[in-house]
Amino acid sequence: MRALRLAVRLRPAKLALAVLGLVVVLMAVGDTIAPYDPLHQDTTAILAGPSAEHWLGTDYVGRDVLSRLLAGSRLSVVAAAEAVGLGLLLGVLPGLASVYFGRVFEWLSLRVMDGLMALPFIIFAIAVAALLGNGLHQAMFAVGVLLAPTFYRVTRAAAIGLRQAQYVEAGTLFGATRWRIVRTHVWQKVLPTVVVTTATAMAGALLVVSSLTFLGIGVQPPAPTWGGMLASDLGYLTQRPFGPVAPALLIIVTVAALNALADAIRDATGDGAPASAAPLHEEVPDAISAAVRR
Amino acid sequence: MKSTRIPTLAILVAALLLVAGCAGGGTAPTSEGAGQNAAGGSLTWGWHLPSTWDPVTSTVGQDVHVLSLAYAALTKQDVDGNAVPALAEEWEYNATGDEVTFRLRPNLTFTDGTPLDAEAVKHSLLRGRDAPDSTIGAQLSVVTDIRVDSPTEVTLILNQPDYQIPLLLSGKTGMIVSPTAVEQDPDGLATRPVGAGPFALDEYVPASHATLHKNEDYWDADSILVDDFELRVPPDPTVAVAGIQSGQFDVAVIPPAQIEAARAAGLEVDIIDVFTVRVLDVNNTVEPFDDPRVTQAISHAIDRQELVDVAFFGEGDPNWQPFPRDYLAWNEELDELYAFDQDRARELLAQAGYPDGVAVTLTTQAENDPLAELLQQQLQEVGIDVTLQVATPGANNYVTRQYPFVVDSFSGRESPLQALEVLFGPEGLMNLGRNAPPEIQEAIDVARSTPLDDPGYEQAVEDAVAAAVTTMPNTFLFTWPRIFARDPSVQGFEHYIGTQRFEGVTVGR
Repeated sequence: MRALRLAVRLRPAKLALAVLGLVVVLMAVGDTIAPYDPLHQDTTAILAGPSAEHWLGTDYVGRDVLSRLLAGSRLSVVAAAEAVGLGLLLGVLPGLASVYFGRVFEWLSLRVMDGLMALPFIIFAIAVAALLGNGLHQAMFAVGVLLAPTFYRVTRAAAIGLRQAQYVEAGTLFGATRWRIVRTHVWQKVLPTVVVTTATAMAGALLVVSSLTFLGIGVQPPAPTWGGMLASDLGYLTQRPFGPVAPALLIIVTVAALNALADAIRDATGDGAPASAAPLHEEVPDAISAAVRR
Repeated sequence: MKSTRIPTLAILVAALLLVAGCAGGGTAPTSEGAGQNAAGGSLTWGWHLPSTWDPVTSTVGQDVHVLSLAYAALTKQDVDGNAVPALAEEWEYNATGDEVTFRLRPNLTFTDGTPLDAEAVKHSLLRGRDAPDSTIGAQLSVVTDIRVDSPTEVTLILNQPDYQIPLLLSGKTGMIVSPTAVEQDPDGLATRPVGAGPFALDEYVPASHATLHKNEDYWDADSILVDDFELRVPPDPTVAVAGIQSGQFDVAVIPPAQIEAARAAGLEVDIIDVFTVRVLDVNNTVEPFDDPRVTQAISHAIDRQELVDVAFFGEGDPNWQPFPRDYLAWNEELDELYAFDQDRARELLAQAGYPDGVAVTLTTQAENDPLAELLQQQLQEVGIDVTLQVATPGANNYVTRQYPFVVDSFSGRESPLQALEVLFGPEGLMNLGRNAPPEIQEAIDVARSTPLDDPGYEQAVEDAVAAAVTTMPNTFLFTWPRIFARDPSVQGFEHYIGTQRFEGVTVGR
């Protein structure tokens, strides 16, 4: 926890938190501060440029782009959070359990996670959406399941190092239960690692959500999403050449802020961090960007 | 690190400017070459690859454009959609209209060297009628037997008078496949077509491209003026114009949103009035569509002109029937059949028992479909609460009929009566309710048994159209054109209402 407090004091972290705070505010009150109904079509003014009435112009059926971006923030971010939440649940708990719950569970969970790691994000999400119906929850379920191995591996690596730590062994000798050891000694040490992973995974999940909605997976029209808006703007580049800039910028800035925050937390954990935290920085974005490329 | 960034950026920008400059300059020589019309050369067409290269098992209507590169049929469609001689130089009906004799041109061969004679025609058409995986069997079921009168004369014996046969045979249904190829490897036809069309296939890479060369033995080889033909999957709309400018394509299909960009880039734009019509498929066995007043209310609530103006940039023609305005089957009395009238729509809804409105789900094939989103708002205004749903990719709703209310498009058929059967027939793929009042089939049969040159033919077809359109739930929206952008050096590109053909087309670059 001290590491987290330290991290927040770093300048990149402050900046990242400010950006993310703004995104959260947009998510929360985007609907109320939006100048127009994000679904209202004004067919007399389609593909209009920026003006006093429409700061970011209008889209292909005359909807206010600014209002749609604001409304789209909630869907996009909530979807990414949903996937990361599921990944956390399915990754962290089995990760800890694999260290303390005996060899059979360890072996089984390792094989399952290895299997999941072989699946590409986008293709798996498309397959699940085809199977369970084309909805954001279905697609995010798929992404969440595939995020689990990242959390599992990271948590497990951190926890394994602690199993042999002297104070843990001392606790065991004093008769502390396994549950108490995990709760008071292990979890505190694993938490910063999990937070770093969560931030990077959130950034990756946002990209995956944007990619999927760009491809038309997981979102039902006319609901706005960042990726969906990006895709629709591309079809009208002649009429609105600047169209993709706003949704693209929002995606870039949010993802960059999440990554910067993750970096700052990792830096703040410093030498005391478990060895597993180090490769995280490369591993997670790589795994996700590779998935996106596929 | 920092010091290298600025020069790198500068080099990148310089490179981009250079590329942009080259692209801009590149258009000039091609437009100069426009007048030369040199024969030979290679034409690259940006268009959809077929679901299969076997016309008998093809499941997609628009495959016909590609298949007619590799196959010839007994007849072909002219620019207006009439059947004109192709492999058969003439045909004749008997007095009762239930037998039609086609006289083939002499010395025809397939690209594998097999003679294309009356026996080959019989073999091919019977395979189309009888093969278990045939998708054209229903259209050929009218043929009870085929008689070979001589090597160049073949007679189709029909179970009823049917003067539509020459029209019917001008499309996929009449494409003649080499009997040798069918006997040796029928499954191989899916990737290796063997016909007697204007071109022969060299290479086919699914989802990428197909290369063909001119078939010197094609009956009309003199009209084929390019040596090589390449088919490439259509470019993404955003890069279509650049693709043509750079020479990746000579002709490519583009959406209406790209017309302006194509013209600005100095390309020719062909806006071709074709059979395609946007339509809402409706299953009238599912609530609330089981009450015809609901579907009529939907039709009255739609401002078709707004759909055309917004979703298709004005390129289209509001329509209440499945045929374009200039076509003989177009019935003037059906124009404005359900004119845009929101009060009337509300009234009909109330009569149908939905005075407070009704909730429906409209299925669309594509994300970001302006058409579906516009329809949602228009229907909302009369109290029809529409939820949009994107169809699961790969779902074939014509067969599964899982979605009762779908934004669709109909590509037309070579014979107007065949089109009516697909749309409204009790087994018609686009009749999602699979039911139809018998009057429609009776009216179709009257038109079918009327010779095409009979003065009453046009009226008979129009009557059949009226019988169907006024009783069936299919909601027609507007006829929309096929739009090609082409390099100005491509000349002789004709506007076909049906299958696009390449006779007389030359490439200058």
